[in-house]
Amino acid sequence: MSATVSLSKSEKSYIRTALGELSPIRADGRSLLDYRSIALETGVASLANGSARVNIGKTAGEESGSGTEVIAAVKLEVEGVLEGEGVDGGRLMCTVSCSPAAYPHLSSAALDDLSYDMTIILNQCLSHPSLHPKNLVIIPKRRSWLLTLDVIVLSDSGNVYDALFLAARSALCDTKVPKTRSVQYQPKSNALGEQDVEMSAEAPASIFSTKEVKSTADFELADYWDEGEPLDINQEWPVCVTLNLLSAKSLPTYFLDATSQEEAAIPLRLLLLFSFSPSGTRLQSMRLMGDGEIQLESMTQLLESGENHARKLFQALKNKLQEEDFRRNQKALARFDLR
Amino acid sequence: MVTFTSFPNPKDSFSYAPPKFSTEDKNDMDIDVYEDDDDGEDFDSGTKLTCPGEPITSSHAYMRGHGTFIDQETVISSVAGTIERVNKLVSVRAIRTRYNAEVGDLIVGRITEVQPRRWKVDANSRQDAVLMLSSINLPGGVQRRKLESDELQIRQFFEEGDLLVAEVQSFFADGTMSLHTRSLTYGKLRNGQLVCVPPILIRRLKSHFVSLPCNVDLILGLNGYIWVSKHINQNRRPGEEGLDAESVYSNQNEAIDAPTRMAISRVTNLIKVLASHFVPLSDVILLEAYEWAIENDVEVKDLTQTDVCEALILTVGTKG
Repeated sequence: MSATVSLSKSEKSYIRTALGELSPIRADGRSLLDYRSIALETGVASLANGSARVNIGKTAGEESGSGTEVIAAVKLEVEGVLEGEGVDGGRLMCTVSCSPAAYPHLSSAALDDLSYDMTIILNQCLSHPSLHPKNLVIIPKRRSWLLTLDVIVLSDSGNVYDALFLAARSALCDTKVPKTRSVQYQPKSNALGEQDVEMSAEAPASIFSTKEVKSTADFELADYWDEGEPLDINQEWPVCVTLNLLSAKSLPTYFLDATSQEEAAIPLRLLLLFSFSPSGTRLQSMRLMGDGEIQLESMTQLLESGENHARKLFQALKNKLQEEDFRRNQKALARFDLR
Repeated sequence: MVTFTSFPNPKDSFSYAPPKFSTEDKNDMDIDVYEDDDDGEDFDSGTKLTCPGEPITSSHAYMRGHGTFIDQETVISSVAGTIERVNKLVSVRAIRTRYNAEVGDLIVGRITEVQPRRWKVDANSRQDAVLMLSSINLPGGVQRRKLESDELQIRQFFEEGDLLVAEVQSFFADGTMSLHTRSLTYGKLRNGQLVCVPPILIRRLKSHFVSLPCNVDLILGLNGYIWVSKHINQNRRPGEEGLDAESVYSNQNEAIDAPTRMAISRVTNLIKVLASHFVPLSDVILLEAYEWAIENDVEVKDLTQTDVCEALILTVGTKG
């Protein structure tokens, strides 16, 4: 994977030497394991079922264009299992697109490649069967939700993968699946359960064909006080930690949250994706990026420390998401009071 | 250490009253122009900021220049910027824009492409600048002429990604600028790091080579690229006696000690903070900001925090 910024040899060596010293100094004064400040907001797209915006390293006072900014949005669509492409139990599709403004030096073909690389990493991790939410079913073996997660990279100043997964996790946690109720087609309008609603001939028969008369034929949206229920594996969505490896020695030093200049100066990056659930910690996915190489023995050590960092990040994100939830409830209440 | 913050609230919408441009004003302006054409600063050119869509003057009396358009006999600004007037031509110079070069400007650029006998240089301008092989100083003396072997080993001088400081020499017919480094003060950059700011924040100074007393040298490129590097001793400066010709195109950094690196990082962060609050940069302001940071004992990484930024801007930004 090519670097997104170009650096001269002397700049690279300046960064590498500074990081490799006994008391390492980074270009912006952070220590090796410091993150830049991360700004996060959920519910940014009102038409999406769940959305989030993440910015890593925004300079205070700057209006836009600084830091790594990513917006993620989840949209749910109905899919037929028998007639459409749908799969029983629902499916997940992730797409990442990079704004040309984020990578002004890349050609459009290189930009497509980059978005494709990011899409693969996000999609392979999140649509893995081990992370499948169970409440994407509408009618078993008939209709299910297709969950599309679209992520846009608005600007990149390094550590874009951590930002991608932070935004993805926040948007998925924010997602509400609309409540549905099965509807039965009954030729003779006998009194049945309260659940069943009679369908008249004028009912929109366009996509929801009523010809397949079986136990449950179709569904309707339940009139519910909230938009719906959260996905049932909320806690398990993974967080990503990128370990930027300085050298391929037996005891590799690494640092977190690299700027794009630092990314261009180092030989190797290790992406680790951890999922924390009550049942335990799972390494969901890992990937090495760059042209350097690493000894297998040092991997276990890196995995261990990566897990620690991921847990801290996970905990901080969890607190922030709760805070966001609270803030939005307060806002909604205030708006309700105004009416 | 991970800290999550929230996005700042969008500014509360303020009531917008369009600036008055009545027929009376128009008449006044016309009279003004005819009476004192020499100092006719009748619409505050250069001091007032325009908004896109803001009426400036009548199209009967003035010609529209860059950054304006005409709607219903009124010259209207199409960008946010300052009004400039040359005789009857009214134009608006945008605040946020790419670098508009002028001959003689000192710029810092990065090589993007190596072509036969020339380099393409990214200079934050609309088009890449051109640096010809014939307009650089070849090692071995000012008098040395370009040889065929130089053309074949063009990457020995500059290669892709290299940073250089140069001067705008001239413009080609299509508006591309041509650079030169035919002075020993120009050339390849090393021992430091680059900061990018909006070009409008760099003032024209007597010298764009600034030495701060904290052992840091600055090159303030007029295109908004600033090179922050370790201080090089006066007699080892390019162009002085102690210079060896080979080191002009060297990629090797000198040994830089920790305090100097810290100072470089501090200056870099200060520039970023000042730029994010749109404070024009000069050596005086930078020095003041640096002293403020030392006096208040601010850690380098804390400089970008909101409260520290604001305290800094309050003390330094107002003095500019």
